[in-house]
Amino acid sequence: MYNFFDQLILTLGAWVVGLVVACGNGVSKFCCGQPLSEAAAHNVAAGTEIVLICVTIYGVFALCFGLATWLERKMLARIQNRYGPNRVGPFGLFQFVADGVKMLTKEDIVPARADKLVHFLAPAVVLAPALLMFAFLPFGRNMAPTNLDTAVIAFFAVGAGSEMALFMAGWGSRNKYSILGAMRAVAQMISYEIPLVLAAVPVVMVVGSLSTSQIVAAQGADGFLDMSRWFVWTPWGFAGFILFLVAATAESNRCPFDLPEGESELVAGFHVEYSGFKFALFFMAEYIGMMAMAGLGVTLFLGGWHGPKLLPSWMWFMGKGFLIVCWLIWLRGTLPRLRVDQLMAFAWKAMLPFALFNIFTTAVWFHLPKATLLQSAVAWLVTAALVAAAYWVVSRFVCRRAGALRVYHYAS
Amino acid sequence: MDVTFIILSLITVVGAIWAVTLRNLIHGVLSLVLFFFGVAGFFFYLNADFVGWVQILVYVGAVAILAIFAIMLTHNLTAKDEPGFFSLRWLTGMAIAAAVGAVLWFAIKNNAAMLQTAPAGVTSSVADIGRKMMTDWVVPFEVVSLLLTAAMIGAIVIAMEQISHRK
Amino acid sequence: MLGNGMIQGLLVTARNLLRSYFDPECLTTIQYPEERRTLPENSRCFPFLVYDGTPDNLRCVACKICEQECPPQCIYIEVERDAKTGKPVRRPRVFDIDYSVCMQCQICAEVCPFDAIKMDQIYELSGTDRFGGMLMNKGALLKSNEYYHQMHPTEANEVDARLSQSKKKASPPAAKPAAAPITLQSAPPPRPTPSAPPSPSVPPTPPVPPKSDV
Repeated sequence: MYNFFDQLILTLGAWVVGLVVACGNGVSKFCCGQPLSEAAAHNVAAGTEIVLICVTIYGVFALCFGLATWLERKMLARIQNRYGPNRVGPFGLFQFVADGVKMLTKEDIVPARADKLVHFLAPAVVLAPALLMFAFLPFGRNMAPTNLDTAVIAFFAVGAGSEMALFMAGWGSRNKYSILGAMRAVAQMISYEIPLVLAAVPVVMVVGSLSTSQIVAAQGADGFLDMSRWFVWTPWGFAGFILFLVAATAESNRCPFDLPEGESELVAGFHVEYSGFKFALFFMAEYIGMMAMAGLGVTLFLGGWHGPKLLPSWMWFMGKGFLIVCWLIWLRGTLPRLRVDQLMAFAWKAMLPFALFNIFTTAVWFHLPKATLLQSAVAWLVTAALVAAAYWVVSRFVCRRAGALRVYHYAS
Repeated sequence: MDVTFIILSLITVVGAIWAVTLRNLIHGVLSLVLFFFGVAGFFFYLNADFVGWVQILVYVGAVAILAIFAIMLTHNLTAKDEPGFFSLRWLTGMAIAAAVGAVLWFAIKNNAAMLQTAPAGVTSSVADIGRKMMTDWVVPFEVVSLLLTAAMIGAIVIAMEQISHRK
Repeated sequence: MLGNGMIQGLLVTARNLLRSYFDPECLTTIQYPEERRTLPENSRCFPFLVYDGTPDNLRCVACKICEQECPPQCIYIEVERDAKTGKPVRRPRVFDIDYSVCMQCQICAEVCPFDAIKMDQIYELSGTDRFGGMLMNKGALLKSNEYYHQMHPTEANEVDARLSQSKKKASPPAAKPAAAPITLQSAPPPRPTPSAPPSPSVPPTPPVPPKSDV
């Protein structure tokens, strides 16, 4: 029974592939008088599988995007003691459909002096990396779209492509606010990419592989204890997870790192000059990128699809991703926007040294003996002490100075 | 010829030509990005996916962005004195390009390992690359990182001079 | 320690988030068109004309005091004339108030010696015509005394008491029974006996203008 639900999606997919191949055979018999050859049938099956995987992933995550916008508005509203959307459908659940229709029917305005081609290309280019990032995440048992040897670095490489897209959007609009927002976005993303990658390095070191499937497999255990080997329970994994969360928040340009679109000073940053569905694409790219980052966080630190065998594996994955998204929304409802100098100082003076030290801690953990329970406990305590000491040093000496009050020459 | 190869070559060559001929510098950088993607595609085509991803991560994610920052921080975006085709500057550039091309050509021509095709079924795994870098090639690896450190220190020194000038 | 303030802030927002589901104090929004706040008794919007019993029995005698006093000059009154004699009858033929001009100052209600003009509470007004859309004529302005009682019970009771008193004082025997007997039963608080409507011929001396009671 458990296996049935666990592999339900795969079974359905296999059924559809079989159906398509059978239809192909029928058409071929009707047209040419003979069934498909072996190679042709194989090609048809493989092609159908690829299309199915894409359609499923993009369909599911487009729906998740819609629900995430609803959830975000609802949670932010409750944090601010309001109701939030509650008109369209039960609890306002279909708000995103109404929003989508609104976006589609709005006029698409292109500034007269914009760089037309770049302005036109940017929304597509920004969405492509966000969607591509899902190709490298294993969503459940036997449910990895690709099985790359280099999936982690591929994920980051694809994510790096979105920086260029944001710059294209800002520059193509020929608007000073959008170019400022774009330069901020690019500077911020390039700065936070380093702690993001460095936060993932300990996991890669311990697993000894860049493949997300193997990283997930290394965190699995039998039966009900399937959550005991998640990396987040180890000191270095916990520290890495926190670092990853912070850097991922910055990478997806979300509050408190939403300087690129800071409404109060830049109107909307790099997408000021976009309206209608092009704006919706930017919006979608932000949310889908955020969910992809959440998925990577789940894969690297929260055990991927592993979990006690109460729920199917894909449900564990989606549930954990959902929790991270909730955390990001909560954070957005809590923290104000950083200043640019604080942002850069935090990335380079606090996160970078801490991430580097975390790699060292991981090496210590890797070489400490962990054969018996006592040895494991000692290793855990030693690395925990190292992480805590590093955190203390960072917060005591680095952040104090980085967050020092700015001296205003004229405004005070 | 392979269709994939032709498409990738088209992307790469067109991107490279645009990058040097377009008058708008930002368009040039964007074409350069296209070129980088084409090169990354070649790496994937050659089954070196790690190098391909690093190509994207480093060149699209960092080098192109750096180029953009350099352009945005430069005051005069358009060159006022456009040199003629046979001006001294063009000739020097062509001479340097020819020299680099010649060196590459001879290096490839005279290196037997470069010319032989990889035996089928051999893939370069990341672990192998890492092991090689940490054992056989550790000295060049460290030298490269020293070079990068030196470049970074140089940049900081230049920036510091500017700051002290301002004060 | 780094992150202390952040954790405190997160706790605050989490508490707000959860409490909004249990504590009505943490969810102060009113879903306006469906839910409404009950207006305070003394809230006011635009003026209207009070009638007793039937709309023919309006209290206004077309004395034009309100028209003169109105600061933005939004009231326009024409006196009705007898069809045969041409003499003015003590009632308005035309009574217009332009709500788009009215500034809701209540001065018309203050100065009216007959308690004929009072302040309404209907604030949801909209129109498509910019110039004439909010011009209310007599028919639109007329509202019953019961309505007034429902809206401002205390004030209406006071007014009723005063009117009946002045009626008794002014013309105890001459009160014409021809005036329609009025039954006023809808107002919730107990009121003194309803006053006879000021028929056009009745009040020789106007009662003392009501003092501002709010």
